[in-house]
Amino acid sequence: MTRAVALSALALLYLPMLAVALFSLNRTRHGLGWGGFTWEWYLRLLQNEAVLEATRNTFLLALLSTLLATLLGTLLALGLERHPFGRRFRGFLETLLYLPVVTPDLILAAALVVAFGFLRQAFSLFEPGLPAMVVGHVTFQVAFVALVVMSRLQGLPRELDEAARDLYATYPVYLRRVLLPLLTPGIVAGAMLAFTLSLDDFVISFFTAGPTSQTLPLLIYASARRGVTPEIHAVSTLIFLLTVLAVLGGERLTRRSV
Amino acid sequence: MNRLLVWYGELTTAPSLFLRGLLLVLPGMVWLLAFLVLPGLVLLPLSFAERGAFGEVVWTFSWENYRRLLGFGVLGYSPDNLLALLRTLWVALVTTLICLLLAYPIAFFIRSKPRAQRYLWLSLVLIPFWTNIVIRTYAWQLLLAPEMPFARLASALGLLEPGMALFPSTLAVYVGMVSAFLPFMVLPLYSSVERLDESLLEAVRDLYGGPWRVFLHGVLPQTLPGLTVGVILTFVPAMGMFVVPDLLGGAKHLLVGNLIQQAFYTMRDWPYGAALSLVLVLLTLLALRLYRRHGKEVELA
Amino acid sequence: MRILAMLVVFLALGLAQKELRLFIWSEYIDPAILEAFTKQYGHKVRVDLYESNEEMIAKLQAGGVSQYDLIFPSDFYVPSLIQLRLVQPLDHAKIPNLKNLDDKFKNPPFDPGNRYSAAYQWGTTGIVYRKDRVAKPESWGVLFQEPKAPFVLMDSSREMLGNALKYLGYSVNTKNPKEVQQAGQLLLQAKRSRYFLGFEGGVGGKNRVVAGAAAYAVVYNGDAMRAADENPGKVDFAIPKEGATLWVDSMMIPARAPNPEAAHRFINFILDPKVGAQLSNYNRYATPNKAALPFVNPADRKNPAIYPSPEAMRRLEFILDLGKDNRIYDEVWTAVKSR
Repeated sequence: MTRAVALSALALLYLPMLAVALFSLNRTRHGLGWGGFTWEWYLRLLQNEAVLEATRNTFLLALLSTLLATLLGTLLALGLERHPFGRRFRGFLETLLYLPVVTPDLILAAALVVAFGFLRQAFSLFEPGLPAMVVGHVTFQVAFVALVVMSRLQGLPRELDEAARDLYATYPVYLRRVLLPLLTPGIVAGAMLAFTLSLDDFVISFFTAGPTSQTLPLLIYASARRGVTPEIHAVSTLIFLLTVLAVLGGERLTRRSV
Repeated sequence: MNRLLVWYGELTTAPSLFLRGLLLVLPGMVWLLAFLVLPGLVLLPLSFAERGAFGEVVWTFSWENYRRLLGFGVLGYSPDNLLALLRTLWVALVTTLICLLLAYPIAFFIRSKPRAQRYLWLSLVLIPFWTNIVIRTYAWQLLLAPEMPFARLASALGLLEPGMALFPSTLAVYVGMVSAFLPFMVLPLYSSVERLDESLLEAVRDLYGGPWRVFLHGVLPQTLPGLTVGVILTFVPAMGMFVVPDLLGGAKHLLVGNLIQQAFYTMRDWPYGAALSLVLVLLTLLALRLYRRHGKEVELA
Repeated sequence: MRILAMLVVFLALGLAQKELRLFIWSEYIDPAILEAFTKQYGHKVRVDLYESNEEMIAKLQAGGVSQYDLIFPSDFYVPSLIQLRLVQPLDHAKIPNLKNLDDKFKNPPFDPGNRYSAAYQWGTTGIVYRKDRVAKPESWGVLFQEPKAPFVLMDSSREMLGNALKYLGYSVNTKNPKEVQQAGQLLLQAKRSRYFLGFEGGVGGKNRVVAGAAAYAVVYNGDAMRAADENPGKVDFAIPKEGATLWVDSMMIPARAPNPEAAHRFINFILDPKVGAQLSNYNRYATPNKAALPFVNPADRKNPAIYPSPEAMRRLEFILDLGKDNRIYDEVWTAVKSR
């Protein structure tokens, strides 16, 4: 029973991707008639400068923002979860952390547009473009990283810390030798979540992107409204396959190290 | 004053502990204050401003935007915006519930696998997620098109006129929403389910018997941290969603997200958009507060 | 040696012209024209696309004003752009080809003296339809009154409400809230139909008809003409008997454009008679360039869907900027879209 529900739920996640992959091989440019098999759209991708540039921008943006967000988020989690702040300060920090989580991205985007509008007059950093996009992405990623790491911290039994502290004297050593290794799954999970959030984001990118920092989601959304071209199907399929490969590779690595 | 204390096995003083905590928290705190709180605070005065004739912001103080939100437009009363608010709450709630019902079996299914395989299965849940929501939503348009098996089946059963697609429809919106947010629920829930104490479950099983009771008294309390994160990660973006109803609802199932998007994208009525945004945030906070209060009770029981 | 190489790189960088960034409707420019421009002036051209005027202005307001060199708004948004100080005046000395414009477009009411804008293309709206599935739509009634096949409406408030107003026999520029409201009701009624597939901007509706998902879509005439050519016997275009909206798109330079020099060059390039004709022959929209007319495909010049007859022109109406009263349309459109 559990198995059946789980597998059909997984099917729900994969059916759309399957359809996209199927139609990326379809000769027909418009519509859903099957016009025969072709690799044409994939070959065309290689010449499509817009798609290539968008792919580069997407991953650069996700990478930069995830690195920054993981660092800030992990520090936040460590500080908040393992230090006896006063009730008020703690409440304030918790609210601050929950704010980006309880703020739908659309609202963050709206607020950022208004704020960047003011900031732009003083710093060119906030002109539409990659730096502004990184700022926007980190802002919504930080809290997610922090929450995931905190949930992991909460799950660690207190006795473990206490035993560890008996063995290691200073905080940095304890952090490096005990806490961080224990937290690694949480941090990795948080970073993965942040990375997917960045890849998945459309709204904040839309409001903060400039003409030279178009990302794939922006390109895809625009094409979806124009009528998606098979090239977009092709690039989506490629990303998808790349992800599968990366994940399989990652799994292999972890298995070897165990 | 600098009394020694023991904190997680560490012998230290309160001020030094506080200082270290502050240093850890500071970068993230400043970042969020600068790029989230301050910009958010600007929305408040903005929501009392007015749109000028050309779509510019006129800084005045008026309740006009909120009156309009309640339905008092220049063209007489209509509760459309209020209905959209209610609809948003309902759709987000149902989506979260469906995700939850699907996420538990997935989490347990992954747990039932040998340890070495779990990462693989978890990744399997995440992979579709790496493909952007826009394309996944568009993909459902493909799947629900008249030429595809689903629509054919529906029309063969007499549920659908031949040649029509299964979208735009309410069903399509829910399908799109659930497939968009399911991984958000599975990931944190699994991290709790994985650490589930088996011996405790067995004790509950001996004590209560039936699977429903085991879930209620054994699984639920233990997985509550993950569940809470999952519910928040699902419910909140569902509240602000506009891509899915846009592409699968055919402009018939508008949510507040669509209204906000329209206010900023097409009406260029930033003040009204700000008012809508604030109400949405308020609504989300309210729903979460209700949930958290309820959540605490479960924890105690 | 290394110093020499660096010198070469510096020289190359210095000599390379800054790129020109267009922010333009999708499928609205012949790529060959861009290549010719790059060849002639050395500016690489970067193209970013939009599907509606509203989207374009929203993006300009969100900082795009310093990112793009050229935009292509419709006539009824020109006054707003000027009022909002999102555009800069044109330097007529740099655009000698401005004289090529037809008198009608030389001193347009929305921008007296072409201070800020130069016309790009003009056209109408109408219905693109599946010839192989439905009859030619003679009236807007096929959408607004008891629709019988799947259809897409245009995601543009003034154009969609304008056509509904036309169907009701009113002006597309009426300032009477009652009439606009009536048009809104009509759209709502159409929206409630189970055949309604949604609002699509730009070429979205056209592509749904080409793909076969929709039988009718409200679109701009040039997009429809191109679709009809590419799918003979399947797709065609009609302007309903009640009439439709008319528009002119203009070239304008954002207030803080990074490369206004190249933008002026590009405007002048487009206003060249041969380039203007090449543009219209690709786009299938009418050219506002009088000097270009002799070079336009004779078949297109005779095509009433591109150059409507004087008789047909009487039923067509330009959308005007209504200043304060724009709000009536905004409100009704919000109600239409949100119900």
